[in-house]
Amino acid sequence: METVIQQLPVVIGALNEGFIQTLKLFAVTLLGAFPLGLVIAFGSLSKIKAISLTTQFIIWIIRGTPLMIQLLIVYYFPGLVLHNPIWGGGEHGRFLAASFAFIINYACYFSEIYRGGIQSVPIGQTEAGLVLGMTKGQIFFHVTLLQMIKRIVPPISNEIITLVKDTALARIIALQEIIWAGQAFMKGSHGISGAIWPLFFTAFYYLVFNGIVTVLLAKFERKLDYFR
Amino acid sequence: MKKLLLVLAIVMALCPCAFAETDSEYVKAKGVLVVGITDFKPMDYKNEKGEWIGFDADLAKAFAESLGVKIEFQEIEWNNKILELDGKNIDCVWNGMTLTPEVKSSMSCSNPYCNNAQIVVVPAGKAAQYDSIEAIKGLSFAVEHGSAGNEVAKENGFKCVEVQDQASALMEVASGTADAAIIDSLMAAAMVGKGTGYENLTYTVALNSEEYGVGFRKGSDLAFSLNAFFEAGYADGSIAKLADTYGIQAALIKQ
Repeated sequence: METVIQQLPVVIGALNEGFIQTLKLFAVTLLGAFPLGLVIAFGSLSKIKAISLTTQFIIWIIRGTPLMIQLLIVYYFPGLVLHNPIWGGGEHGRFLAASFAFIINYACYFSEIYRGGIQSVPIGQTEAGLVLGMTKGQIFFHVTLLQMIKRIVPPISNEIITLVKDTALARIIALQEIIWAGQAFMKGSHGISGAIWPLFFTAFYYLVFNGIVTVLLAKFERKLDYFR
Repeated sequence: MKKLLLVLAIVMALCPCAFAETDSEYVKAKGVLVVGITDFKPMDYKNEKGEWIGFDADLAKAFAESLGVKIEFQEIEWNNKILELDGKNIDCVWNGMTLTPEVKSSMSCSNPYCNNAQIVVVPAGKAAQYDSIEAIKGLSFAVEHGSAGNEVAKENGFKCVEVQDQASALMEVASGTADAAIIDSLMAAAMVGKGTGYENLTYTVALNSEEYGVGFRKGSDLAFSLNAFFEAGYADGSIAKLADTYGIQAALIKQ
């Protein structure tokens, strides 16, 4: 116990550094995947068969393969097959590659949730809008969108909380997020070697952060209550 | 058709067809040697200032200087070392790497520079009873997947579970989920016993002897440059001095 107390400041410092990587990946993924998901949802709802079938095919590929494999492909494929390591070997390149893979992956899941939300708004409202002479764009942004957002908050919350924990997968391409930082103490890092507890301690970070996310999402959901 | 041409154009733009260039020319042109490592005391580890030091790290710095390029250390996932190398994310693997047949067939390796052994780590209280290969035959072992310890366990027909790295193998023993682990002797010396995080563990039997080398991309000419660098460093005593600093002088191999 005594050694744990001695090690605590060093370990917390290293874990914080790792957790910043985790949070960065989390934030970038959400910022990218929210809008991209909407674009993909429009694609799969398109009346043009070629577009909707292509989109559905892509969604099948992305949802049908493990995110871990997608990370490996995104990061290593350019160097191995095209002989041009576009991401570079450094920490920055690894982060970009991880962000790319996470955004595409989560956008596909989001798009299906959006599609469900859009289709759940009764067709009568669209028809009423058309009768009033509104354009399709006006109908979507003024009538459908906010109702859709209200309905998709619970399933999107699920995905957001999963994303917090999924960021740990990025360690497969040596992105030094919090689990990597915690695990490093087992081997040796910052002058401490053979310490097992930091790895398990990382769970505490996820738990606290997900607590905050849950509260924020509940607040957001209450704000949208006026649609009832 | 237009789309096809566009795709072709993109692929060609992404692919600088500079295959004629040798590996040392490639590294010198970009001006930096990227060394793939893991945190592995006493070969590569960070000091209080966060700089990479260690026997391998210091030697790598001197080698980069001799080439006239800067050095960059990149921590990698050990299982992906060949991917990292072939994908040109790193230029060499220099991290107390055992020259196994698998490593030799997929990389251009330097001459061996350091001796190592695979040794058995057991709880300190049971060390006396597990002091020979016969005595440990029936134990369950934890080994790093794809490591030299993994190979030795297979050769001896030991029952073993494969884990992600050597540190995880130690954790298996410490937590009692495995009876013993097989890891590098250099690592065991630094991590097991009094004054380390695993005070209740100790090491007993050495199962083999083996050698460390540095791996470059297959066909790279840098392996030859490094051999020459090793010879010069051994002759003028600078490598021996460095080995002294990190306490591995006994393991050094004559060049």
